[in-house]
Amino acid sequence: MAKEPQKNEEEDGGEFADFLADVSQEIAQRVESLDPRPKSEAAAEPRKTPAAGEERKKTPAAADAGLIAEWPNIVDRLIEEMR
Amino acid sequence: MSVVNYGTREITCKIVYYGPGRSGKTTNLQHVYSQLPEERKGKMVSLATETDRTLFFDFLPLDLGTISGFATRFQLYTVPGQVYYAATRKLVLQGVDGVVFVADSQARQMAENIESLQDLHANLADEGLDPRTIPLVMQYNKRDLPAGELSTLEELDETLNFRGVPHYAATAVNGGGVFETLRSIASLVLSRLSAPAARES
Repeated sequence: MAKEPQKNEEEDGGEFADFLADVSQEIAQRVESLDPRPKSEAAAEPRKTPAAGEERKKTPAAADAGLIAEWPNIVDRLIEEMR
Repeated sequence: MSVVNYGTREITCKIVYYGPGRSGKTTNLQHVYSQLPEERKGKMVSLATETDRTLFFDFLPLDLGTISGFATRFQLYTVPGQVYYAATRKLVLQGVDGVVFVADSQARQMAENIESLQDLHANLADEGLDPRTIPLVMQYNKRDLPAGELSTLEELDETLNFRGVPHYAATAVNGGGVFETLRSIASLVLSRLSAPAARES
């Protein structure tokens, strides 16, 4: 399988785009079949649109907050290790 | 670490680049980072010594945006290759979903490659992960060096790739083989979404 690597300078800009396209295709193929909710339930789930004058719900905190929160802990542990 | 979370509609994959010192792990991440469009460029965290050896590890978050309704993130890490950073390597491996083993193709580095691979297996086992089944891709780097200094791809494969996992020749210093490797490990990790062992937090 391993071939000597080739590098086409013109393709530089497209490398990430190609990667993203492949990953998107892979995920699209899998997540639908894996969704634990019954398909009918998922399909029938109504989109709630706030009525006129009704207060809109605020967007929850950033979904990646957990990722960021982990970072200081890791650094602390690493510093501890170096002592 | 959760691979897929239907509750929060998130897919998160942690990929660790493992291998001996100076095999090109950081160079792999630097090339990936260099190819990111500006709007997706977050911070690549590198903690290096004055001689550019990785001191702790490198961390590159890849936010791929929303795919099929899932906020999708890849977290790319490298470990420090030097033998005396064993504890750091174990720490970085926690919660890993897939491993890229970056081997140095130079013939004189074969012993270091073997030692690092054994270290990987031991650390995975310590983490309760099965080294025989975790998604793994081999990358044989530095193929741009003079042929007389290199092990052949066949020699590398015979010595290091006893699992018969996907393997790629690379010249990470100019980007050759870097995205092929990343694409391969991403595919292996994502393919496990359908496996019973796919974890949810």
